[in-house]
Amino acid sequence: MALLDIKDIDVSYGKQLTVKDCSIELGEGRICSVVGESGSGKTTVIRAVLGLLPGGGKVTKGDIVYDGRSLLNLNKKEWRALRGHDISMIFQDSGAMMNQTRLIGASFAECIRTHENTSKADAWKKGAEMLSRMRLPDPERIMHSYPFQLSGGMRQRVGIAMGMTYQPKLLLADEPTSALDVTTQAQIVRQMMTLRDEYGTSIIIVTHDIGVAAYMADHVVVMKDGRIEDQGDRDHILNHSENEYTRRLIAAVPSLGGKRYV
Amino acid sequence: MFDESEVLLEARHVTRRFPTNSGRELVACNDVNLKLYRGRTLGLVGESGCGKSTFMRFLVWLDKPTEGEIIYKGRDITKLKGEELHEMRQHIQMVFQDPSTSFNPKMKIRDIVCEPLLNYHRIRHSEKDRKARELLQMVELPGDFADRYPHNMSGGQRQRVAIARALALEPEIIVMDEATSALDVSVQETIIQLITKLQREKNITIGFICHNLGFIQSFSHQIAVMYLGNIVEVMPGDQLSKVCCHPYSRALLNAVFDTKMDFSRKIEPIKGEPPSPLDVPAGCPFQDRCEYCGDRCRHEKPRLTEIGPGHEVACHRYGGGEGA
Repeated sequence: MALLDIKDIDVSYGKQLTVKDCSIELGEGRICSVVGESGSGKTTVIRAVLGLLPGGGKVTKGDIVYDGRSLLNLNKKEWRALRGHDISMIFQDSGAMMNQTRLIGASFAECIRTHENTSKADAWKKGAEMLSRMRLPDPERIMHSYPFQLSGGMRQRVGIAMGMTYQPKLLLADEPTSALDVTTQAQIVRQMMTLRDEYGTSIIIVTHDIGVAAYMADHVVVMKDGRIEDQGDRDHILNHSENEYTRRLIAAVPSLGGKRYV
Repeated sequence: MFDESEVLLEARHVTRRFPTNSGRELVACNDVNLKLYRGRTLGLVGESGCGKSTFMRFLVWLDKPTEGEIIYKGRDITKLKGEELHEMRQHIQMVFQDPSTSFNPKMKIRDIVCEPLLNYHRIRHSEKDRKARELLQMVELPGDFADRYPHNMSGGQRQRVAIARALALEPEIIVMDEATSALDVSVQETIIQLITKLQREKNITIGFICHNLGFIQSFSHQIAVMYLGNIVEVMPGDQLSKVCCHPYSRALLNAVFDTKMDFSRKIEPIKGEPPSPLDVPAGCPFQDRCEYCGDRCRHEKPRLTEIGPGHEVACHRYGGGEGA
């Protein structure tokens, strides 16, 4: 059975229908990339999964089933138990989601104490351990830094470490590498691949970088104007898709030793 | 590789130091030597903070180097002042990364693209409408867009307007600072097609900043790789993947994801992050992240040495000296 089953959902913001007839199925230990241009509704879809639709956004049709249970009508307490524990999310800039005036360690400990009944000191220790498990150098220094003191790549890795504390079965990543340099991007991509290989985490990654999407994914979903334009396994989408839009999108990706304009 | 008589602009030993509060110095550009050739594109690549924008900003007088000179039309443009500077500015124009913040939101597109022309008294106010339409058509936008405001347009359209504004004065050189990074891939492609088409028609020289090697090699004639304020490799754009040999350039190349790559290949990102530009180590700037680092790299800074036609590299493993 699929770990996550998005069944034919519509999402609206007020009266504005943003995503229409969207269905995605994700098995355990699989990676799915959602690609598309800006405004195609790809972020809306994964935000809907975690119940994080901003300002009046609502799933108006269909159902989202995680591990056999619907995610649409959970109350606050149920969400709190699920978010960060079974399902985690990595944002485009993990530094921005943390409180700028608190130490990273304090935010991390708070996050741990939401799920576990432990002392602050133990939670802090667990956080530092997690950072070192994710191979971040000098975890104590990071725990004692403020978010703005770390580089973008480092913040992103801290965000991933926080998300992975409880080894969630499902990781949602919203443009996790878009704000980063190519070299740091490669580090983050590698780290996410390791998560799948070591912990069997299923991942949905939303990105407009088709190169990254193709490298990571087993399954690729192409979105356009709020609808799923095309989906299939990686090889199919990259090489054999019959969809006009998909083919155009793939052809536009700059490739080393590929097309030259001069 | 390139004809030396076609050199349009030459930067010689350009260095920029910023003083910091702690009394130390931050060297953003260290002895940069680059040449721009007529009608060619120079792509400048590097991680954020490597000084690539700082260098390009010298060309458009947004900043001045601490040392060194930039020769254009036989003169050192960094020393220009007043009337001369005003005259010179029309020959070098710039396109910025984010078109939504580089326009005045309260100006109509017509006023935006014609402002440089009015500044230099090239047209009268009564000609504005005609000229704006002409410029918009040049960048393949409908002439009616002249009546719009920047916020009524998509990112790709705005970037076209930015290109139209930069080209209004018919400059010889255009500097583009990550001009396509904020755009979707499909839009990116059309913008590049437009830029290269205009370049061929008008023989414009372009200085393009970007951090994606895969993208920049698709339209650059010459590619310079910068690391911590130093140029570490300069190579011809069409042979990038063949000739590129500096460990840092290779690492950048390995970090490129594209749809035609071998997906089973393990990506091997370089370890760590660049050191703070405040503590650039003595010797080779790349030493701490380089797998080939030897004793010599720790003490002696490698110089840019020519090892092939149009191909220079700053690494002890190449260029005359014995390997590190």
